[in-house]
Amino acid sequence: MKVGTFASLVLVALLALGVFLLLGVLLRLGFVANMGPWSQALTISIIVAAIVGAAAVPLGITSDRWLGRLRDYLSSQGNADSTTAFCAPTWLRPVADAFTQALEQYHVREQQLSNQLREIEISHHVSEAERRQIEAVLHSLRDGVLVTNSFNEIVLANERTAEILGFDVQKAVHQPIDRMIENEALCRMIMDTRDSGNTRDVRHVEHSISSDPKHGEPEVAYDITLACVEDHKQSVGGVVTILHDLSREREVSQMKSDFVSKASHELRTPLASIRAYVEMLVDGEAEDEESRQEFYRIIQDETDRLGRLIDNMLNISRIEAGIVQIEREIVDIKQSIDRTVQTLDPHAREKGISLHTKPAAIDLCVEGDKDMLYQVVLNLVSNAVKYTPEGGRITISADSDNLTRSVVVTIADTGLGIPPDALPKLFDKFYRVENYKRIAKGTGLGLSLCKHIVETVHHGQIGVESKLGMGSRFWFSIPMRYAGSQAAA
Amino acid sequence: MMPKRVLVVDDEAHIVQVVTLKLRNAGFEVITAVDGEEGLELATRERPDLIITDFQMPYMTGLELCQALAKSPETAEIPILMLTARGYALDDDDLATGNIKDVLSKPFSPRLIVQQVQGLLDDTDGDSQSAETTSEAA
Repeated sequence: MKVGTFASLVLVALLALGVFLLLGVLLRLGFVANMGPWSQALTISIIVAAIVGAAAVPLGITSDRWLGRLRDYLSSQGNADSTTAFCAPTWLRPVADAFTQALEQYHVREQQLSNQLREIEISHHVSEAERRQIEAVLHSLRDGVLVTNSFNEIVLANERTAEILGFDVQKAVHQPIDRMIENEALCRMIMDTRDSGNTRDVRHVEHSISSDPKHGEPEVAYDITLACVEDHKQSVGGVVTILHDLSREREVSQMKSDFVSKASHELRTPLASIRAYVEMLVDGEAEDEESRQEFYRIIQDETDRLGRLIDNMLNISRIEAGIVQIEREIVDIKQSIDRTVQTLDPHAREKGISLHTKPAAIDLCVEGDKDMLYQVVLNLVSNAVKYTPEGGRITISADSDNLTRSVVVTIADTGLGIPPDALPKLFDKFYRVENYKRIAKGTGLGLSLCKHIVETVHHGQIGVESKLGMGSRFWFSIPMRYAGSQAAA
Repeated sequence: MMPKRVLVVDDEAHIVQVVTLKLRNAGFEVITAVDGEEGLELATRERPDLIITDFQMPYMTGLELCQALAKSPETAEIPILMLTARGYALDDDDLATGNIKDVLSKPFSPRLIVQQVQGLLDDTDGDSQSAETTSEAA
C-alpha cells in the first residue's frame, strides 16, 4: 500500500472515530435527544467516514502517483545525461521547486568540486613532471648539488655529490650531514651558512676534498657555493651547496699558460735573430758585401719562419675555436699528392732523395677542404724530406678502405725514425724531437696542424709508426663522405 | 795582453753566429757549442773567462749546464750570462743556480751583450786583482 492511500485511510478512520466521539459527547449532554444514543452516533460516523473516505482515498492514490513521479525525477537527476523535465501539479509545485533548486545547487557544487579535483590532478602531474625534470637536471650535472634542511639533514643529493663526498645517495637522504660527510670543514661551512640566517648572500669558498681520505684518495680543489633556502615563513629552511670541480679549469689554465710560454719562446727565437742581424747591419759590423748579403738572407729566412709560425698558430687556434672557414667539396686525393710531389721534388733531388707515388687503381675522392688536405700531405712529405738522409727514399701511397669507407694516405720514408718516447707527444703543439732540432728547422706546429685538419675538420684519423734508424710511416684517413653531410641527408 | 775567451752556447746557429761575430769584432776570443753537453765539455777543457748560454736547449738545458759547472771547482767561478726566450722572467731559485750573473731576454741587442760581457769581465778582474793585492800584502 502506498503512503498516500494509507494516510487517507488512516485519516478516514480517525475522522469516523472523531465524529463518533463528538456525537457521543453531544448525546450525553442532551444536545441530540431524538436518536438512539450510540447506534445513531455510530450510523452518522459511518456515513461521514464513507463520504470522507470516498473523497480521500482517490486523493491519496493521486498524491501517491505524483510523489512517485517526483521520486523518479529526482533519481534521474543523478545521471549527467538526464534531460527529463518534471511538471508538478500546483499543490506539489512548491515541494518540487524546492527539490529542483536544491538539486541545481548540488549540481553546481559538484561541478565546482570536479573542476577543483581536475586542477589538483593537473597541478600534481605538472609538479611531478617538474620534479622529474629537476632530478634529471641535478643528476646529469657535472657539479655536485647537496640540499640540506634546517636540521642539517640531507634532503637531496645528486650522484656527483655522492662521488665527491664518497657516500651512497639512497642511504644519505634524511641523515645528518656530520654522519654522512667526513670532511669536517665542509660540514662546518654548511652549518655556519644555515646558522647565519642570511638568505640574500651567496658564499663562495675554495676548498679541497678527498672522496676517501682514509684510503689516501688525493684531494681535489672545488669551488663551493653555499646559499640559504627560504621556507614558506621566509626564514632559513635549509642550505643548497654546489661543489664545482676546479681541476679541469686549472688544467686548461695550465695548458694556456704553457701554450703562451712555448709560443712566446718560438716567436722570440726568430725575432732575436732578426733583431740582432738588423743591428749588426746598422752598426756596419758586416765585413764585406758577401757578409751583408748573408745577413739579409738570414733576416729574410727568419722573417719567413716567423710568418709561418704565426700562420700555423692562427690556423690551429681557428680550428680549435671552430671558426675556421671550410670550403667543403669533392677532392681527389691523388691531385693533392701530385701537387705535393711537384712542389717538393726539386728540393728532394737536391738532397739526393727519391720521391715515389704508388698510383691507386680507382679514383680516390673524399668530401673535404682541398687546400687543407693539400696542406696535410705537403707537411707530412716535407717532414719526410727534412728527416731523411741523402740517398733515401720516400713513398707516398693512397688507397681506399672499404670497411671504414675512407681514403688512407701513407707517407713512408727511410729516414732517421722517431724515438719511442717521442711518439706519443709527436702531434702536440710546439713539440719537437730534441735530437732532431739541429737537423732541420721547424715551428713545432706542423704535425699539430695536420692532426687538427684531419681529426677536427674532416673527422678522420692520423697516426705514425716508426722505429729508430728504420724510417717512419705517417698515415691519415679521411671519410669519403663527410659525417655532417650524411646526418643532414 | 791575451784576449779574453768567451764560450757561447746556443742551439740556434744564427744566434751563435751573430754573438760570435759581435764579440770577435769587440776583441774577444770566442768558442762555441750547440747544446749544454758540448758546452760543459768545452768549458771544462778550455776554461773560458765567461760563458753566454741559452736557457732552453736539447740534451742539457742552460740551467742544467750552470748546475753542472757549479759542481766542479775548476768551472764554478766562471761568470755566466744567460739568454732566454721564455715568456716570463726566471725565478729567484733559477737565478741562484751556479754563477749566473745576469739574464738577457731574447730578442736582445748584440751591442748590449758586448757591454755586459765587458762589465762582467771587468768586475771579475777587479775581484781577482784585489785578491792578488791582498795576498801580496800578506
